[in-house]
Amino acid sequence: MSDNGTIIRMDKVSKAFCGTRALDEVDLAVRSGRITGVLGANGAGKSTLLRTIIGLYLPDSGRVETFGCLARDLGPKELGRIGYVHQEGELLNWMTVGQLIRYVAAYYPNWNGDLERKYVADFDVNEKARVGSLSPGERQKVAILIAIGFEPELLILDEPASALDPIARARFLDLLLELIQTENRTILISSHILSDVEKVIDHAIIMDRGRIVRDCSFDDLREEYARVRLTALHGPLPAQLPFAGVLTCQRNDAEALLTLQNQSPESIEETARAIDCKAEIQPLPLEDIYRLVVGEK
Amino acid sequence: MRPMLLQIDHHSGQPIYRQVIDQIRRQVMAGRLREGEQLPSVRDLALQLRVNPMTISKAYSLLEMEGLLERRRGVGLFVAGLPKDKAGQTRTDMLEEALTKAVVTAVQLGIPEDKARDMLTRLYQKYDSGMRRQENE
Repeated sequence: MSDNGTIIRMDKVSKAFCGTRALDEVDLAVRSGRITGVLGANGAGKSTLLRTIIGLYLPDSGRVETFGCLARDLGPKELGRIGYVHQEGELLNWMTVGQLIRYVAAYYPNWNGDLERKYVADFDVNEKARVGSLSPGERQKVAILIAIGFEPELLILDEPASALDPIARARFLDLLLELIQTENRTILISSHILSDVEKVIDHAIIMDRGRIVRDCSFDDLREEYARVRLTALHGPLPAQLPFAGVLTCQRNDAEALLTLQNQSPESIEETARAIDCKAEIQPLPLEDIYRLVVGEK
Repeated sequence: MRPMLLQIDHHSGQPIYRQVIDQIRRQVMAGRLREGEQLPSVRDLALQLRVNPMTISKAYSLLEMEGLLERRRGVGLFVAGLPKDKAGQTRTDMLEEALTKAVVTAVQLGIPEDKARDMLTRLYQKYDSGMRRQENE
């Protein structure tokens, strides 16, 4: 592990596929124990970012270090600390699920048999089924099991719940919540389904067209924006609304709906009082925050 | 240690650490969490509420900075003994926040001040009379 608990470090990393820049001079530092949500639309570069961290893709330029080792040189010692769930769930198709689990478990001296049995029961994993015959959702369940079974320090989940039905997805989130109770477990989880990740993450990375457009604490991101419903206390709403940080404003002569950035609730209320209005302040849904962040760049 | 009754609403959009802070503050101010009482560990509360442990540790740190909780090295976190004037101020602030909302609504509905006062008196009689009866006995 390198300085101050940083276990992943990227410096000016770029990667292109057939002329399309999947990563564009990306800088990133991930500290141990952090649960990071990697958010972005399809094609934003989320999967490329995650695969570059574990050396599955090599960057065209820039430097990637994971556990203090260049990602291209990661060996069994480092890889044995990393669990990875592939978006498409690449698995050995000719094995049965049970055989695959035993096969993977054999590589890891610290495989957790109790966790495995609990998972198999909770998620109705059919160990007799042939891997190649599984539905996408069932494949994903198996991929998750073999990535968490050895309790890796670093868990990289690339759209882990995309193929799961709503019930399996809820169970998976519960499982994640259990996994993050272990101290110093670092998780990177990419998703375009924002409601999936918002319960578990403490840090957010928002990607857009190969760039990281936001890298901050999830609470800070949440509190950066506010939706304000403004209603006049006496008479009509003034023509000028003297708020700072206004991103959007819809209004008629009696009320207005504003989206504000970087304004404290106290200052919003004070401004409202000064123009004889009532301000109802509400948090912005994550989907709206995401749209503002991506749209404003 | 009694189990702490906190409720997290994941759909409110309000950051979870704020929900935890608000609820613990209210419990301390209302005397439901008493001075010297120990709080569950970060790990236990995170597990109980099924949230990220970082969230709980952030909430605890902020409550500690506010002076509501105190850390005893190697033992844990406890409800601090608040100076009387500080406790009184916090209580007044909490009430003012609630009353401000009520007054703004009253103004907006065109309800005059004396009517609102009458209502406040009536509401005090309704909710506080049991308490006063006990005190008089």
